[in-house]
Amino acid sequence: MKLALSGKATDGHSLIEQDGRWTYGLAVLLIAGLAFLPAMALLQTAVLIEGRFDPGAALQEMSRPIALRAAWNSLETGILSAFLALWIGGFAALLIGASDMRGKRVFAFLFTMSMLIAPQVAALAFKTLAGPASPFLKMLGMAPAPGSSNPLLGRWGIVFVLGLHHAPLVMLTLLAGLKTIPHSLVESAELDGAGPITLSWRVVLPCLRGHVVAATLLAFVAALGNFGIPALLGLPVNFVTLPTLIYRQLTSFGPDILGDVAALSVMIAMIAGVAIVLSAFILTGSAPPLERDQAIRSYWRLGSLRWPVESLAVLLVLAALILPLASLLTAALVPAYGMALTFKTLTFRAFHEILFVQAATLEAFRNSFLLAASAAVLLAILAVPVSYALERLAKKTRGVLAFLIELPFALPGIVVAIAAILLFLKPLPGLGFSLYGTPWIILFAYLSRFLALAIKPVSATLAQLDRSVEEAASLCGAGPLRRFISIILPMVLPATITGGVFVFLSAFNELTVSALLWGAGTRTLGVILYGLEEAGLTTEASALGVLTILIVASLMLLIDRLGAYLPPGVIPWRMDEFR
Amino acid sequence: MRRVFSGLAALSISLLTAVNFSEAADGKLLLYTSQPNTDAQQTIDAFKAKFPNVEVSFVRDGTPRIMAKLRTEIQAGAPQPDLLLIADSVTMEGLKAEGRLLRHTPDTTAYPLGTHDPEGYWFATKLITTGIVYHTSLATKPTSWLDLTKPESKGKVVMPSPLNSGAALIHAATLTGNLGGGWDYYKALKANDALAGGANGDVLRQVAGGEKLYGMIVDFMPIREKAKGAPVDFVFPKEGVSAVSEPIAVLSTAKNPVAAKAFVDFLLSREGQDLALKQGYVAAHPDVALPPGYPARETIKLMPFDAKKTLADERSIRKNFSDIFVQ
Repeated sequence: MKLALSGKATDGHSLIEQDGRWTYGLAVLLIAGLAFLPAMALLQTAVLIEGRFDPGAALQEMSRPIALRAAWNSLETGILSAFLALWIGGFAALLIGASDMRGKRVFAFLFTMSMLIAPQVAALAFKTLAGPASPFLKMLGMAPAPGSSNPLLGRWGIVFVLGLHHAPLVMLTLLAGLKTIPHSLVESAELDGAGPITLSWRVVLPCLRGHVVAATLLAFVAALGNFGIPALLGLPVNFVTLPTLIYRQLTSFGPDILGDVAALSVMIAMIAGVAIVLSAFILTGSAPPLERDQAIRSYWRLGSLRWPVESLAVLLVLAALILPLASLLTAALVPAYGMALTFKTLTFRAFHEILFVQAATLEAFRNSFLLAASAAVLLAILAVPVSYALERLAKKTRGVLAFLIELPFALPGIVVAIAAILLFLKPLPGLGFSLYGTPWIILFAYLSRFLALAIKPVSATLAQLDRSVEEAASLCGAGPLRRFISIILPMVLPATITGGVFVFLSAFNELTVSALLWGAGTRTLGVILYGLEEAGLTTEASALGVLTILIVASLMLLIDRLGAYLPPGVIPWRMDEFR
Repeated sequence: MRRVFSGLAALSISLLTAVNFSEAADGKLLLYTSQPNTDAQQTIDAFKAKFPNVEVSFVRDGTPRIMAKLRTEIQAGAPQPDLLLIADSVTMEGLKAEGRLLRHTPDTTAYPLGTHDPEGYWFATKLITTGIVYHTSLATKPTSWLDLTKPESKGKVVMPSPLNSGAALIHAATLTGNLGGGWDYYKALKANDALAGGANGDVLRQVAGGEKLYGMIVDFMPIREKAKGAPVDFVFPKEGVSAVSEPIAVLSTAKNPVAAKAFVDFLLSREGQDLALKQGYVAAHPDVALPPGYPARETIKLMPFDAKKTLADERSIRKNFSDIFVQ
């Protein structure tokens, strides 16, 4: 999901340049409030002491053994999982982009779905899949003997689950790159007698170098900022990464150590920042967009390899999605964690408990729904004028603003949460009350974090709009409002809705931000699920996980239907070009 | 004249409330608790059956984390909860000293002296001990705390962290004060590859699941899970056990002190204490029977524990612990 904002340059002036000036103001105001202000609050707390730049205390906090240990763990799991994601995602991209595998559409949909499932739910699913307690393994009679530890807890489990979780991200980035390779290149190589292996290795891969590096960096940044997976798979065995260390410090010691966690947040933001800038640099430097040429078509006839390759694809979907889901469902249906699922033990008690007994779960469904829907609707509405303004700005200004929009989305979510606490913990001047513990602080964080998601599809659509259409309308006497309603709006509506649904999906599944910002009445689904798991109620947590997955799957199907009305590339898993 | 009248009205209202809570207690009530979600919900449902006009919601987390949340809210100038029902009285003593608790004088004649705060700021609701849980696949069951540092349990022990659990903090304070050698016992546990990550819930899950075979844990969890069919059992080690009393208190910033006090009264009433029994806890009330699976009340051997010292040392206990155990 973390694809860099792209926008086609359409510099130049025109008749209608004067109109819509207000959109510039709105864009700047929004970006200042949602991105610039939080960043400043963080930096100020971390490195300013009485108004002077003094990084001494921050550096001391960053160099504590536990902080260094967490940073090392973050780097290690981040790098290793990124390489794992590269191999798996690369294989998937090759299957979709280059081969004539059957059922590509279903494969892409299911594989992408494994990424859109909340990380904490994925982690819970995998956690229940392995180890001597696994209800799923017990059902199959394959559980290891008591006393053996769960292999998915700790460093290697985190690397494995992060790698699988971010493989679709790599796949999508590589496929975006594949589209920029002209098919003529493949044809000429085929004429020279190159087989699919030589073609992939000698022709396609060199063209994709930039995308490969960028995709790996994206997977690294995503892993670095991930909270749900290392929280569920690491904290129980005392394995901390930077986000989980920040979380544990703040939730165990309280607000006295806000300065310390601000320093840790700056530390993780810096690591992520280097990778983000690097990947943006590499992506812009490589692969000029395809002009007249036909984009690459599948060149790999599977032939006699069809069965083994397609089985491998099925296996991948099994490992990334089906097995963990089956395990989660099994864990939700046993009376107590550690028991085997049989017709005798099968019970819907956990579902009954979370849906009809625990008042907090229903409240969390309501909270997550309202927060995610508000963020989605607000951002979808705001995305149109902001994208419109961005599209018309000079290239340099646009670059800076696009970077600021991308910042809270690309940086680890825990950084946004800490920034929001720093901004809003103290009672607001003039109002006399604090936003902390209210829905507003979470909504603010969601708006800040997911603005980039809402803007991306709208910007992509606006970039395709020929300016002359609007100019022609203007010459015929259509005012700005008229032009907006009759030309711009019909064009960007599907993209706006898609952006909104993506925001909804991300916010609805979210844990990282709300884990630190919740109040008694504003706990989200992520917070409740993690809380149940921490309280030892794994069956209840699993039941809740199953329900959230059902919601995600239905929403994905909904956007899939919308896909027909969108420019290609907006819905990541619709691989229409690669049929 | 009007002032006299309203004064009289207030007096009569307070008299009425003293006579019958169920008529006056209404509105919303927010409870911050370290009880497992299912127990907290049951307790609230039982209270609501008696006080249908009170709408009670709750937030659950480990005691240190509930306290961190409360402290953050205090800094924001808006502490949310009316009531605290947390693991240990040491934390309550700290809050009382800061003036964060509201004094209350329910009828506590049924309880022996020393059960509750004599000044009426917090009230014990249960007796929760920390002993040893083990997986039933073990050939020999553990009998002593020292069994957890023996070679045959190497890498197979899990315990709650005082960073996440209030009972674990009291347990660490008790064991370091009683086993001799201070923190040496915990260092020996670490040398034996014992794991201390989460809270009691984690311990239960890992031992019930067979990922670990021994655990330090609060008594009610494994005793209850055993009854449900999970492959675990609980022992009271021969040296004795540590104990917390899961006290309840009304905050001085409570928005609904009338209903909050009614909640305290309910928990201390015979009915509330019988509910604790039904949930599988040892109730604080001396006349309430013990749930199945426990030995007789007087045979449970409690290790002595210095509450004042623990209050003063709270930070250093957590620091010592994390210095020893964090990877």
